[in-house]
Parts: sequence; structure tokens; C-alpha cells
Amino acid sequence: MLRLLHTADWHLGRRFPSFPEEAQKKLSRARMEVVGRILDAARRNRVHAVLCAGDLFDDPAPAPDFWEGLAKAFHDHPTPEAPVFLVPGNHDPLTAESVWSAGHPFRGRLPAWVHVVDRDDFVFDLSPDAVLYARPCRSKAGENDLAMALPAREPGDARLRIGCVHGSTFDLPGYQTNFPIRREAGVLRGLDYLAIGDVHSFRDVTAREPVPTVYPGTPEPLSFEDSGAGKVALVALFRHGSRPRVEEEPVAFWRWLDVRCRSMNELRGLLTTPDLERHVVRLHLDLTVSLAEESELERIVRDLEGTDATHGRAGILVVDRAKLRIEAGSVDAFPDDLPPVLQDTVARLDRIRTQAVDEAEREKANRALAHLYKLVQRGDELIGGGAK
Amino acid sequence: MKLLRLRVQNFAAIREMEIAFGPGLNVLYGPNELGKSTLAEAIRLVLLLPYTSTHYEPYVPWTGADDPFVDLTFEMEEQRIWRVQKQFGRRGSARLQESRNGQDFEDVERARRVDARLREILRWGIPEPGGMGAGKGLPSSFLATALLSTQAHVADVLEGSLHGDPTPTGKDQIAEALQAVAQDPLFLALLRAVQARRDEAYTDKGAKKTARGSVFKAAAERVNEAREEKLRLEKVVEESDAVERDLHDLAEQREGCEHDLATATENLEALRRLAAQAAARAAEEEGVRAAREEVARIQAMDQDVAAAEERVRGFAGVRSRAEQTLTDAQAAQAAAEQALTTTEETAQEALGRCDLLERAAAARAADRQVETARVAVDRQAALQAELAQLTARRDALAAERSALVVPPPASLTAFRKLATELAGARGALDVGLVMTVIPTAIIPVSVRTDGVAGSSGTIAQPLEIEANSEVEVDVANLATIRVRGGRRVAQERVQALESRWETEARPHLAAAGATDLDGLEARIAEARELEARLQSLDGDLRALQRQIADLSGAAEALEEATARSAAVRSELGETSLDALLPELDALGADPAAALRNRRQQATRDVDAARRAVQEATARATEATQKILTTLTGHASEEGRLAEIRKLREAADLPAAERALQEAVERRDAVPVPPRWVTPAEVAAAEEELERVRQTLKTLDRDLHITQGRLQQVGGAVARERLRDAIEAFDLAERHEREIETDYEAWRLLLDQMKEADAAQASNLGQALAPVIADRFQALTSRRYQSVHLTAQLGTEGVVAAGALRTPDRLSVGTREQLSTLYRLCLGEYLRTTIVLDDQLVQSDDTRMEWFRALLAEKARGFQIVVFTCRPGDYLAPEAMVRDEGEVAADSDGGLVRAIDLGRAGRPSFR
Repeated sequence: MLRLLHTADWHLGRRFPSFPEEAQKKLSRARMEVVGRILDAARRNRVHAVLCAGDLFDDPAPAPDFWEGLAKAFHDHPTPEAPVFLVPGNHDPLTAESVWSAGHPFRGRLPAWVHVVDRDDFVFDLSPDAVLYARPCRSKAGENDLAMALPAREPGDARLRIGCVHGSTFDLPGYQTNFPIRREAGVLRGLDYLAIGDVHSFRDVTAREPVPTVYPGTPEPLSFEDSGAGKVALVALFRHGSRPRVEEEPVAFWRWLDVRCRSMNELRGLLTTPDLERHVVRLHLDLTVSLAEESELERIVRDLEGTDATHGRAGILVVDRAKLRIEAGSVDAFPDDLPPVLQDTVARLDRIRTQAVDEAEREKANRALAHLYKLVQRGDELIGGGAK
Repeated sequence: MKLLRLRVQNFAAIREMEIAFGPGLNVLYGPNELGKSTLAEAIRLVLLLPYTSTHYEPYVPWTGADDPFVDLTFEMEEQRIWRVQKQFGRRGSARLQESRNGQDFEDVERARRVDARLREILRWGIPEPGGMGAGKGLPSSFLATALLSTQAHVADVLEGSLHGDPTPTGKDQIAEALQAVAQDPLFLALLRAVQARRDEAYTDKGAKKTARGSVFKAAAERVNEAREEKLRLEKVVEESDAVERDLHDLAEQREGCEHDLATATENLEALRRLAAQAAARAAEEEGVRAAREEVARIQAMDQDVAAAEERVRGFAGVRSRAEQTLTDAQAAQAAAEQALTTTEETAQEALGRCDLLERAAAARAADRQVETARVAVDRQAALQAELAQLTARRDALAAERSALVVPPPASLTAFRKLATELAGARGALDVGLVMTVIPTAIIPVSVRTDGVAGSSGTIAQPLEIEANSEVEVDVANLATIRVRGGRRVAQERVQALESRWETEARPHLAAAGATDLDGLEARIAEARELEARLQSLDGDLRALQRQIADLSGAAEALEEATARSAAVRSELGETSLDALLPELDALGADPAAALRNRRQQATRDVDAARRAVQEATARATEATQKILTTLTGHASEEGRLAEIRKLREAADLPAAERALQEAVERRDAVPVPPRWVTPAEVAAAEEELERVRQTLKTLDRDLHITQGRLQQVGGAVARERLRDAIEAFDLAERHEREIETDYEAWRLLLDQMKEADAAQASNLGQALAPVIADRFQALTSRRYQSVHLTAQLGTEGVVAAGALRTPDRLSVGTREQLSTLYRLCLGEYLRTTIVLDDQLVQSDDTRMEWFRALLAEKARGFQIVVFTCRPGDYLAPEAMVRDEGEVAADSDGGLVRAIDLGRAGRPSFR
């Protein structure tokens, strides 16, 4: 039996421009850290080879931090029993300037058991009964089917033949330029397993075919849309002609949670989510709150997000307030014993709010009331601060 | 504000004086007429009056040598010292300087700008000179009145208010001062917090902060970065998409082109096959056609021979009929010529008779004209006689009318009206008179009554004379006494009317020979009758003259007719007219026309005979021509028949028919192609095939190039990144909007807090009144309960025994005291100098004592300048200037300064 760990789409060096700077760092760091967990999984499962099917870097010429980091990750890991194969994908194609080129310092720093697929006719005998064929992407776009470019099985060849390329298995008609892969390529080339990469969620695109063609997905999710991400594929091949067994193994640190709160109760409930500190949370506040609720809402958000002094409950938090509406409603929420000048201020803002002719003006007055409400609640603290 | 130094030159009675003020209470004293109020005025003028204003004139010294000059140094806040110098007058000047240490001054403004800047510094509610609300003369405002009072207007502050200020700066200054002391600690804490949040985002002037580090800048930078990245990636994706589209299009085109190539190749092969079949079939078809033409040619010869024979036979018949026609035509020609000769002879005879009858008709007409002319001559003579008769009658009537002189009939009405008026007027005089002439001696008298001469003679006894309207007594050689009835006016009217009668009517009566108006009317009627008859005669005369004119020339006509008759008769010769008359009468009413018809008929007969001859001649000529033509054609046709017979005999019809049969058999052996294809069609198909091959080659080249381009583009990678970039951009934009809204809310909150605060403080009277009232109660031993001020600081009055008492109902002394308290309060809140010019002259010792203590206390907080002639009211005896040669003396730790103005004329105090 031949055991493989199939992974792809590490996207080392990926930027996360939608996130705050600190969160970007966390997410970027996590992508490098998952490599260690992948190698651990390979060791734990005693695989015969680790196939990395493209897009390991987000760019063909990543910043040194990333290729040095990856080289270090390999070096830091105890020498494995299995070789690792790195295939250039469409994000990091094999070009003269790329990190994969023979002259790049990255190549010099790789351990001997890490192999870069830098030839179109790459062949590696995994064992006397198993052979790996792989082919790199040489550009970011291409219309040639790299899987179909692999050599076909010769008559009489009874070895396990494994293919490894990067590209998209398209179901759509028409002309494709993202290295299209025919569904039946594995069968047509006489392979026993076709390891591919590109799609970020775990997916076996040939569940009914005798030859599995599998996307393991990205080991560390890249977005809230990558619902099936965070895994590697463990493949067990028994003999030629027998469909291999493919299993998913989770390796991700972060779980991405896209949550929409339409009530205060839902928001309060978010705080009870287990392992919230390992979650990247995108919180859509889609509700209308009173002054008192707004104050509580901001407390909860602060609790989730953290402050300069405290860690947030959530690992990473992004708040979308586009649909958050403050409806000051009755200004009775303010204490009765406010000084007349503050009572007058509240009355003035309330008048602006109720008489506003456009939503923006009303929203502004509502917010001003909310600010005032929160300040009044902190009145003693503020007076004390002022006295100091 | 705090006054530091004042220097005055040539200002009213002051030649030169310089004063240094202390920080607290300054008591400037001296005897009356020393110029204390003048100094107070100098302070007012240098601060308020533009140097160009003529309002300075009362302060020009009596000597008039130099214009007034004032130099004032004052401090507005710590290390903010101002110095204003004004030389008033036409050649005046102004200068404003600023200093931090009170020693080194720098010019800030000059000339007219000085006052604008001063008013900005003071904030007393006085507008910029020449600006909106600026008046003429010395400007005034509530604060100017309150802070710089004059002795003459001690209580003015109680009569004014902020309401009359031209600008709100005074009110704003007081409101700020009151606010600062009245704010709630919570409010202040919140205000500070809100202000801090607002200041994070906006400048002092309310503009968004855009400097590095500002919240808006950071958000905007993030948006810009995200936008730039998005645009960059959009471009990359666009390029990528374009290449992919090109590749897709080229692939499709190539597929289509390959299909076209297959089609073109197949088409060419089919055409070539069909073209070969068509060529073979066409060759055999040509053989058949030639054989068929030979058979037809021989068969056509037989038909030609038969036709020629038929034509020869036809010519013989035609020739026989033409000869008979010629014979008939020649006979008809001879008959027509004979008929012409006969007709010509008959016509000649008829024309001669016509000539004779025409001459007879002319003679008869001439005779009739002679007769008519003769009748006209006779008629003319008769009319001439009648004309002479009528002319004589007209002349007689005209003479008769000329003898009558009458006015126009219309004037008669006017005369009658005049007569009526005259009669009326005379009636008014007809009052009846009785005159008595009483002689004293025998006197001759002559009497006229009513214009009519009456008795005359001598009288010795009284004579009584009676008349209707007038009595005239002529006493011989002595006098004529005329008495007339009626008033003078009536008499004058009668005279006027009589005068008019004499000038207007009387001459017409005389001319017409009438005695009265009825007679005149009869004369006018007679004159009009004569005029009517004259007009009738004139009409008859004109008719006769026209008749005579119509007959003029009758004699000449008679002569001409007689001569013409004689001439015509001579043309008749020997033939008697009478013999011809019966025939002439038979011609009817118009013999000339009848004779004309007779001549025309004769001519027509001859013409008809001539035409008949011409027609007969033409028919004979035509028949001759036809015979000649027929003969020629017959001969020609016979020659052609002989020739055709010769050719036919040389041809072999059976042999030609056999050759045709053989050609048809050969042709039918070759198959008919399904479509007839030309070589041109084949050539076109060859060209099309070549064109498609070239297109395919070009497409292959383009495809190769585009595949190369594809390797350079971003493809799915770029699209993925663009998705991220769009999301980041949207997020950044949302974030920016969020920040803007949030900070706008902070700003709105701050504005509303300030407005609420200002509104709370805007009722200045409410804030100030209790303080004044407290002091006033203390001063008056609670005699007055409270002071009422309006929101604009107008003084409504004070409450005593539960009733409001207006300031004008207070005693002079109480008014002085109340106004002084009011000023002190304002000075205290504004922390500014107040000038009191002998304010408390009406106060008793007790109250002065109270005030002295109050002034000493308040002088710790702000500067008070008092001008007085009674320094003892304000200063303890030991505080007076005592040392010889000193102008001022400070006490109470420097907070009280006594200044002896009597000694201040020296160059300096120290």
C-alpha cells in the first residue's frame, strides 16, 4: 500500500487587505505555521510522499520572509521518511525570476528530501511499484491541460501511477485559460490518483470515476467563503485498478466565522461560541438598537475585539456596522437629574432627530445622542479625570 | 483690560499730562476745573473716536496752536500690551502698537485700520468704522457707557441695554464671562471630552483635519491605497480578460476557418467534375447543330422556289389591271378640261352685269344724300332765328333782377330778431312820463315827446307834458331839457340796439326800397322769382345752341353730295338709271351685298372646274407610273426564280438528313451533367480555396502569438486578487464613511452643547441681577429686595416693599449708587477696567464708607479708575499723596494708587 499526503494552495505571503494590520500579521503568520502541522500529519500518518500541488506561494517572487520561512519550516522539522514534492501553480508559476528557478537562494536552502517540480517531464519513482509524474505551471494563465500532458500508461505497465499538477477542472463549455483539467484525464493517462490544486475547499471532483482527482483545498482558510478549507488529503493506494481511499485531515488553526446578528440576543449568544479565540469573526450588525442597547452593543464589541489593555475574546474581529441603526427613541433613557444645560442639549438633539428631513441627518443626531448617553454614564469618571 | 499709562497733549485745557495707572483702584483727584473729566474724555476718545472725525473739535485748546494728542497704553491679557496713539485733526494720525513686555512696541496698524482693530480687541459691541451699523461721531454701546462713564451721564447705564448695540460683540463678551462662572461640573467634563473628540477630527475653524495622523487622513489614505490597488488589478484583469477573449475568438475563428477549408476543397472538386462533363456534351451538341442547319438550308431552298413562282404569277395580273386604269383616267381628264372652258365664259358675262348695277346703285345713293343735306341747311337757319329771340328775352329779365338790391334771405331772420329785441328794450323804457315846465318868465319852448316833435311856442304858465318814454323841451337859446324814462342800463341797451339797427338793418331797407321788414321780405321773394326765370331761359338757350352746333357743316355736305351725284351719273354713260332701277330694286335692301355674292359665285364656279381638271390629270399620271413599276418588278422576279432553281438543283437533301441522324446518335451517347459549370466558376472556387488557406495560416500565427501573450497575463490569479481588492476597497470606504458620520455626530453634539450652554447664559439679566441685588441690598440695608434686569441687561427697576420701582423714580443718589454697582459687577465679570468720573457725589458718608470698602475689595480683581474732587471719599487719609514732588502714592500693597492731578503736569510721576 502506498500512502500519500496531498496538499496544495498554501499561498504563503498572501495579504489580507480587508483586515486591520495586526490581524493581517496573525493571518499571514498562521499560513506559515500550518506547514509544520502538515509535516506533522505526514509523519503521524507515515506517508510515503507529500505532494504539494501548486500555489504554495501567493506570488512567484515572494518576499524573502516567506521563502526563508518555508525553508526554515522544512529544516526545523525532523527529517521525514517521505520526500516532499513542490509543484509550481498559477499563483507561483515556474519562471526564470521565480522562487522555483534553479538559481534562486530558496532552492539552495531546501533539504534534499524536498523536490521542486521544475521540469515538464518530471518523473519520480516513489517505489519499485509506484511512480510520480508531475508538471509545473509556467505562467499565471494557460490553456493547456497539464494533466493530459502527463505520459500515458504504457501497455504492460502495472505500477501505481500518480499524477500531480495544478489547474482547474472546468464544467463550463468554452475556452478556458486557467490550466483546464479534463475530468477524465486521470483515466485517459492511465493514472491511479491525480493530485491537483487550485480550489480552496476540499473536493473530490471525480467521485464516480475509478481514478480520484482531488482538490485538498488550502490548509489554512483564506476567506470566509472557503467553508471546506483547512484540511489535507490522506490517500491510500492499494494496487493499480483499485480505487484509492481518500480521507480528509484537518490542519488549520483559524476557523472563519461570518456571522450576522439581527438582535441583541444573537449578539450576546456570540460570546458563548466555543474557541472564540481561534476564530476569525466577521460580525455584521444588522439591527436597530436603543441608546441603552447601543451602549451594551459597544461593550460587547469591545469585549470581542479587545482594547489596548486587554485581549479580545475573538481571535480576529471585523465589524460591519453598515446596517446598524441607532434609534434613540424616547430620550427618557437619560437620567432625570441631568443639569439643565445637558437636558437642553438632549432636547435639542432629539428635536434635530425627529425633525430631520434626511436619513443621514437623523443618523447623525442619533449617534450624537448615543455619544452623549455613553459620556453621561461615564460622568463620574470624566469629572474625576478632569479634576486630575 | 487694564490701563497702564495715559499721556495727553493739547487736549482742551490740558497742555500736557502723563499718568501711570496702578493695577487696582486708582483715585485721580484734584480741585474742580483741573481737567479730571477731560482726562476721562481723552480715554474715551483715544479708544473710540477715529482720528479723522470732527467730533474732536470741542477738545482743541483755546490757543488752537496744536491738535489734541492722546497716547494710551493698556493690557488685554498677560503679555498682550497695546499702545494706541491718536493725533486728532485734519493732519492727524493714528497708530496701534503691540508689546509683550511693555517696553518694546511694534506697529500693528496705522491710520484708519487702527479703530477697526481696536474695536476687535475691545469687543464692546461697536462696529468697524464705515461698516454696517457704524454711525457718525463718537460711537457708543452699552459696554462703552458702562465701563467709561462720564460725570454728566452717571445713570446712563440704567437707561440703556445691549439691545441697542450695533454689533453683538459686547453681548458675546458678557455672555462668555457669565458662562465661564456658571457652568456645571458634569457639563464641563462632558464638554471637554466632546471637544477632545471633535478636535481629533476638525480644526478650530471647523475644517476637517487632513494632516498626517488625523483620523480622516488615515481613513482616506486607506481608501486611496485600496482604490489604487483595485484600479491596478482591474487593469491587469482587463488585460487578462482581453487576451482570453482574443484567444477564445481566435479559437472560434480557427474552427470556423477549418470548416470553410473543407467546404471550399469539396466544392472545387465537384465543380471540376461537372466542368469536364459539360465540355464533352457541348462538343457533341455542336455537331448536331451543324447537321441540322444543313438540312434546314436545303429545305428552305424548295420553299424559296415556290414562293418566287407565285410572285411571278402575281405580277402578270397586276399589269393587266394597271393598263385598264390608265385608259379610264385619260378619258376623265379630257371631259374635265371641256367643262372648265364653259364655266369661264359664263362667269365673265355675270361679272360685267354686276359692274353696271353697282354704278347705278351709286348714282341713286348720291341723289339721296343731296336731298338729306338740303333739309339740314334749312333746319339750321330756323334754329338761329329762335336763338336770337330767346337771347333778347333773357337780357330784359337780367336787367329787371339787377334793379332789385336785397340782402341774402338768411339775414332777414337776424333782422327780425334785432327788431324784437329793440322793441323789448324800448318797452322797458316805456314807463310813462309827465313833465311840467314852470316858467318864471315868458319863454319860447319847443317840445318833442317820444322822439316826435310836439308843440312849440312861448309859455308863461306851467306846461304839463306827458309822454311814454321821452320828453325833450328846448328852451330857446338857453337849454334843451331831455327827460327819458327807464333806468340807464335799459336806456343804454336801447341805444345799443338802435345803433345796431341803424348799421345792420336800416341800409338794406333803404336799398330795397322797403319801409319795414315785411316789405323787405316781399322784395327778397320777388328777386328770387326773377332769378328762377333767368335760370330757365339759360337752359333753353343752351339746348338751342347745342342743336345749332349739331347742324354745323350742313352746307358743305350739300355741296359735296351734289358733286358726287354728277360724277356717278357720268359713269353710267348712255345707260339710263331708270332702266336699271327695277333690276336694282330686285337685289333687295342691300344691293351691294347681293352683287358681291353674285361675283363670288362666278369665281367659285371657275375654281371648281379647274380643280376637276387637275384631279383628272393626276389620276392619269399615277396610272402611267404604276404600269411602269409593275413591268420592272415582273422582270426582276423572273430572274431571281431562275437563279434559285439553279442552286436547288445543286444540293443533296437525303445526304444531309443522314448526317444529322448520325450526329444526334453520337450526342445522345454522352451523359448530361446535373449542372452546367463554367471554367470561371472553377477558377473562382480555386481562388476561394486559396483564400481560406491563407486565412487559416494567419489565424494560426495570431493564435500562437496570443498564446504567448496569455502566459504574460494575470489570469485567475489577478481575478482572485481583484476580488480581495474590491472587498478591501468597499470596506475602507465603509470605514471612512463610518468615521465621518461618527465625527460629525461628535461635532453636532459639541455644537448643541455649546448652543444649550449659550442659551442658558443668554439671559444675561437673570445671571447678573442677583449679584447686583445682593450688593444693593447690603448697601441699602435691605430696603430694596431685588433688582430686575432684562435679558439684554436693560434695567427694569428695583423692588421695594413688593413693588417694582423704575430707575427714574429713585433718588439721584440711589440712582448713582445703583449704576455704580452695576458697573462694578460688569467690570468684575469681564475683569476689565471701569472708569468712574465723580459717580457718587450725592451719596452720604455711610454709603460712601460702604463703597470705599467695596472698591478696595474689588480692586483686587480688576482695575478701577476714579476721578474725583473729593479724594477723602475714596482714600484713607494716609493713602493721599503727601510727599512733595510726588504725583502718586501707592498703598494697600500697591492695589490702591492715589494720583494728585494738580502735580501731574510734570514730565513724569517718579
